[in-house]
Formats: sequence, structure tokens, C-alpha cells
Amino acid sequence: MKTTGKLLLFAALAATTSLSCKQKPGTTAQGENAITIGASMLSLQSEFVVNVKDAMEEAAKSANANLIVNDAERSADKQVQQIESFIAQKVNAIILNPCELEASSPAVERAKAAGIPIINVNSETRAVPDAFVGSRDEESGEMALEQIAKLIHYKGNIVIMEGYMGQAAQLKRIVGAKKVLAKYPDIKVIAQQTAEWDRAKGMTLMENWIQSYGSGINAVFAENDEMGMGALQALEQANMKNKVVVVSIDAIADALQAVKDGRLDATIFQNATEQGRGAVQLALQLAEKKPVTDREQFIPFQLVTKENVDKFLNNR
Amino acid sequence: MEKIYRLLSKYGVIIALLGICILLSVLAPNFLTVRNIVIVLRQISINGILAIGVTFVIIAGGIDLSLGSVVALTGVVAATFAHPGDYPLIVPLALAILTGVGVGAVNGFIITRGRVAPFIVTLGMMTMARGLALVLSNGRPVSNLSRSFNFIGGGDLAGVPLPIILFFLVTVIAAVILNYTKTGRYVYAVGGNEHAARASGISVGSVKMFTYLFCSGLAGLAGVMLASRITTGQPNAGVAYELDAIAAVVIGGTSLSGGVGRVTGTVVGALIIGVINNGLDLLNISSYYQQIIKGVIIIGAVLLDRRTQDK
Repeated sequence: MKTTGKLLLFAALAATTSLSCKQKPGTTAQGENAITIGASMLSLQSEFVVNVKDAMEEAAKSANANLIVNDAERSADKQVQQIESFIAQKVNAIILNPCELEASSPAVERAKAAGIPIINVNSETRAVPDAFVGSRDEESGEMALEQIAKLIHYKGNIVIMEGYMGQAAQLKRIVGAKKVLAKYPDIKVIAQQTAEWDRAKGMTLMENWIQSYGSGINAVFAENDEMGMGALQALEQANMKNKVVVVSIDAIADALQAVKDGRLDATIFQNATEQGRGAVQLALQLAEKKPVTDREQFIPFQLVTKENVDKFLNNR
Repeated sequence: MEKIYRLLSKYGVIIALLGICILLSVLAPNFLTVRNIVIVLRQISINGILAIGVTFVIIAGGIDLSLGSVVALTGVVAATFAHPGDYPLIVPLALAILTGVGVGAVNGFIITRGRVAPFIVTLGMMTMARGLALVLSNGRPVSNLSRSFNFIGGGDLAGVPLPIILFFLVTVIAAVILNYTKTGRYVYAVGGNEHAARASGISVGSVKMFTYLFCSGLAGLAGVMLASRITTGQPNAGVAYELDAIAAVVIGGTSLSGGVGRVTGTVVGALIIGVINNGLDLLNISSYYQQIIKGVIIIGAVLLDRRTQDK
């Protein structure tokens, strides 16, 4: 038994080291002189982050640069460690997709102290990086609420499904939404609750709200599409979708299809591809010490409705 | 007096459930309606099935922390084979349950043959199964599922939602196995006193193995039900589902040290959790307070149960 255990352990170690060898900078097909970029991503379990990562990989490949992608698994602590190991590996530039505003800041400070250019993608840290590419999350909340207000003719009752409380996206999207709500006093928020970005939880919450408020609900704003899709399914099961407007954010594949099918009223598109591509371009420019004119690039959100959904579906 | 204690000890959890229901129906006028009861039953069916499976494992003295990840993995497996016009419905259903059983076999094998603590083995499996789900799905939800597949979690038979029917069937089958078969008696024996069980000729290893196979197989069914309910196979679904399942088991009076427990208790435990979730949403209580209230009720229910059993 003992020897089998040791053999297994050895096999596992051999497998992991052979995997990690592939990621060592300067040893890939691109040769010794290629630029190596290290990237630490918020979570590769999130579809949006995976899309950003795919765009980054594509951009790096076409520029013949090496890209090492690490998954921080939503842990700022792990993220800082990954940046430290990038510094130790002497990468030429670092892309950071921050887990948290405050707790990921040491990662930025350490890279700057080591003289390695660091670029934040998608969200911010308190410490200022060398460059930033992303979108203003408040804007997505504003857009979603403006669309809801228009569709319910600027009066009625809405319910709001929030993401994980305290996360940057949740905090900012609700700020944007509340800004619009302040303009329209005839729109009332009758319930507001977290469904933790999760489709099953969104569906359960919506079922309970339907039970509570019934036909008193005129619209649902969900801070992401997963929860929006859950709300949509609960409304459809209760045969209420034709009376309730649902708008959510992210433009994931399912949501785009639902908009096309006329089920979801609108979603808000955040451009993962441009963010990922922009981050790699900035990283290359900074690594080669080329002048960078625009160190803060904001990529606008776009409203997706039935009229323009095809453009977004074809882009995938 | 003694009579009251005996009643309490036998029906403590049920009394707790009734108390919560009465309180909620006073506070929320739309709580006690047929519609809402159906909603609650549908919402708890997945957690209920997971909880019944893990009841077996816990009675036999083990634990299974991999359930939530197995739900995600089997949901992804099912969804991958459930696109419209691809395969008959039985294929995704069978593959998901078989995947679950396979995970259970690995858990059971390492626990019984490798003599590793179930806590550690299933903790490892928790991350492995999650990783496998992410690999199979490339980290993206698997959607565009057939109507017949979505019927499992969303459809109903004669007005009764299918998940409730499945939950009921699983409850009956599990109760029969545990109460009326030799296997069921062995499960109690192994959890109560492993040495005595071995001395009396019970194959302890195969009994434990059975509990893990049964538990993970049911997790496979739950994975199908969840994927079908939300019409996608989500690699990141089911996070911490094992904790809700274990909470239901413990509230239902099953001892974490093994040897004691009932399927009906677990069902009542799952009902308590479901009713609280639903009721607090109906009352629009802030999610911050919801978490506190849930914790208090979990500990309170178990405390009540222990006190009455001690008398």
C-alpha cells in the first residue's frame, strides 16, 4: 500500500512539473528573446474572465509574445503571491485582473517596486498601475435602469437582484442604478436582495418574490445575466414574463440568445475582447519602453436589445 | 411531564418545523398557500435528495464533502449530452448518474482500501470534481438543452412538479432500504460500532462502499435536476451544497458520530431549511440578517433535539 501511494504521489508530481515546464518563460516556440507577460486573473470560473483571457492569449500569440496565465481563484492573497512569482521569474510585463480594490493593491506596488510594468484589466486597485484598461461598471447599471425606465414608461415597481455583497461590480452597478432611480420618483424599488451572481439562486429568489408581490412587479433588474436568466425562467414558469420587464448585465451567450428569442428584454455588453486585447497591447508597449499616450482606456458598455443583438451574436 | 418529554424527543424536529411554519404564516400572509408550499417543495427537492444520500454516509460513520462539486460535474456531463436532437433523454440521465457512481466508487475505494479519513478523501474529491467540471466545460456554462431534458427540472405530471415526484420516490426508496433491508441494518451497525460489526461477520468495507455509491449516485441525479431546472450545465454551480445537505441531516437528528439517524428526519431538516429560505425572502428580510437567522435556527434545532433526547 505504501509503495503504491508513493508511486501515485510521484506520478502526480511528475505530471504537474511537466505541465509547469511548458509555462516557463523563454522556453517556448517563440525563442529566447520573446517578450514574456505574466497575467493573474480574478477567476477562470467566470465566463467573462475566460473571454478576457482568450482575447489576451490571441493577442499575445499574434505578437509572438509568451503569456503565462495564472488563476487567482478570487483570492487577493493568492494574487499577490502570483505577482511575486512573476517578479522572481523576471517577466517583462504583468497584467493584473484584480480580485479586490484594496487587498490586491500590494501586487501593484510590488511590481512597480521591481520596475516591471503592470497593467490592470477590467477592474481597479487603490494603488495606481502603469496603465489601465476596462469599463466603468456604474455605466452598466445606469444603462440597464434607463432601459427599464423606458420600457415601463417611467413608473412602476421594480425588484433588484444583487451580486455578492461588497464586491466591486455589485457596489458600482447598484450605484449606477440608484443614480437613474433618483431621476424617476415614480419608479419604486419594492425588494432588493442578493442572489450571489448565481442562476439557481436567482430563480429561487424570483419564485419567492412572485409569491410575495405577484402582479405588483413591473420589472426586474439583475446585476448579472446569470441571475437575470434565473429570474426569467421563474417568470416564464409562472406565466408572467409578458407582463414583467427583465434587464441584466454582461451579455453572456445564453443572455444574447434569450434577447434574440424575445425572452430577455435587454442585456448590457461589456467588451471582454477589447479589454483583453488592449491589456496585452499596453503590456507589449510598456515592456518595449515605447511611448504610451493613453494610460487609461475606458471601453464603453453597449445596450443589447432585439434590434442589435445579431451583431453581438456573430462576434462570438 | 415525562410523557411530554417523550413526545418532544420523538417529534422535536417536526414540532420545530411546525413552529416555524406557524410563525411565518402569521408574519407573511402569502406563506401558507398551496402555491407556496409547492414552490418550497420544488426548491428543496435537490437539497433533499443530496441530504438523503449523505444521511446513509453519515449513519455509517463517514462524511461526504464532495457533493456540491459532483452536482456541478454531473450537471455538465448531462448537459453535454442533452443538446436538442443529439441523444435520447436516457443517455444524459444515465451518464450523469454513472459519473456520480464513479466518483462514489473512487471515494469509497480510497476510504476503505487506502484507509484514509473520509473527510480528507472527499475534501480532495471536492476540488478534483470541480476541476473536472471546469475542464469538460472549458469554464463556460453548457446551454442550449433539449425540451425533454428541461422537463425533468421544470415540468410537471398531473400538476405536481417532477422534482417533487423524484424527491418523493427517492425518500421512499431510501427509507425502505434503511429500515427494511439487511443492507440498511448493516449501515447502522457499521456506524454504531465498526469493530463489533466486523466481529459479527459484516463486510464493513462493502457496506461503506455502498453508502458512497448511493450518495454520489443521488448527487448525479441532483446534478441532472439542477442543470435541467436552470437549463444549463454550470461548472460553478452547487458551491457549498454539501453544507446545506449536511445541515439538513444534522437538523433531522442524525448523529455526526454515526449509528443514529432517519430518512424522515432528514426530510424534515431539508424542509426546515427550505421554509426558512422561502419565508425570509417573502418577508424581504435583508440577506445579511438571513444568514444570521439561518445559523441560529440550525444550532437551535439541534440543541432542542439534544436536550429532549437527554431527558
